[in-house]
Amino acid sequence: MSAIEPITGRYVTVEVEGAPRRIYFEEAGAGRPVLCLHTAGADTRQWRHLMNDAEVTKDHRLIAFDMPWHGKSLPPEGFETEEYLLTTEAYVATVLAVVEALGLDRPILAGCSMGGRIALQLAALRPEVFSGFIAIEASDFQPAWYDIDWFHRPDAHGGEMGAALVSANISPYAPKAERWNTLWMFMASGPGVFRGDLSFYTRDDSLIGRLGRIDTARAPVHILVGAYDLTCTPEDARRTAAAIPGATLAVMEELGHFPMSEHPEGFRPFFLDALTRMRVPAEALK
Amino acid sequence: MLPLLRRMQSRLDATPHLLRLGRLVSETVLLKVGEAEYYLVFEKGRLAEILPGPSRKTPWRFAIKTDAEALAEFWKPRPRPGFHDVFGLVTIGRATIEGDILALVKNLRFFKEFLALPREEAFA
Repeated sequence: MSAIEPITGRYVTVEVEGAPRRIYFEEAGAGRPVLCLHTAGADTRQWRHLMNDAEVTKDHRLIAFDMPWHGKSLPPEGFETEEYLLTTEAYVATVLAVVEALGLDRPILAGCSMGGRIALQLAALRPEVFSGFIAIEASDFQPAWYDIDWFHRPDAHGGEMGAALVSANISPYAPKAERWNTLWMFMASGPGVFRGDLSFYTRDDSLIGRLGRIDTARAPVHILVGAYDLTCTPEDARRTAAAIPGATLAVMEELGHFPMSEHPEGFRPFFLDALTRMRVPAEALK
Repeated sequence: MLPLLRRMQSRLDATPHLLRLGRLVSETVLLKVGEAEYYLVFEKGRLAEILPGPSRKTPWRFAIKTDAEALAEFWKPRPRPGFHDVFGLVTIGRATIEGDILALVKNLRFFKEFLALPREEAFA
């Protein structure tokens, strides 16, 4: 068996809010496209286990990209004097620009945490672009129980503090190596990036009023939530699923907020099940 | 609780990566378990003293207040959801954190791993 993994990485430049963004993306597999969105303060590496899973990639093309400021996607020109604060508008525009640039035909959108939040936003705002939504650790809204300004200050390491904070959301069932691989991404995130992501995640409640308009007959919505997630609790996910007519929900008893990264073996049956739920009636695609 | 805290003190001394993470930590932390108070005096990452309270003379930087039953679950290898993390205890209403929380957050990994020492196999 070759030690070389099937994942390949490339770059694409798209335009978001009138300026170019050089985006790093990875992909593996062939078949129905699944666009994967990472959490706040992290990057595409969170999806590496599923992208290396032959059972998943035998009939799905998984694509994940690093949001600008994250992973190997650079921030835009002028970032050095800009306060990074992610907005729903910029996030939606970035996802749509990537779908268009890669020529993806009605992909499934799979997002975790803030990626799950934006997946539900897109289910409400641009349903015609996608054929299904897997919203992981996703809910309508939760205000922060912490001060997001803790994570960008000159006298302490934002990445290390952020990692120590989010470790609260990792299940004790997670294998130790994957717990620390998951935390490493937070430790290595750029200054102020986690804070800027959290600004979107903890302050923008615009999804609440839009959930009722999501049409799951056109594109299914399946929500997955880990019992050890303190940030998006099963209660938050249940409330959100209940507000979307036709949405389905699975509670993952032994998982936390980063299931695909923290506990790949525990998560894969839930993700495989989610993919089977993304079958869309042919008439809905017309 | 005091014998257990003393075991945590000696486990900390035998955990080099925590001593390295805590090398700038010289703070007094109040741990309140039920009605019992313990002042944990950290000096450069070591737990220099454990002073049983109550005391009105001992200043502290931050306090963690919880109960013995919650801590017993917290210290299991695989606690129930919410009991698995000190902030989890706060969110489920089984602990409060008072005082200079930023001093905790700046050294969050150190304090979290110190508090979780009884979970380790080597602790028994």
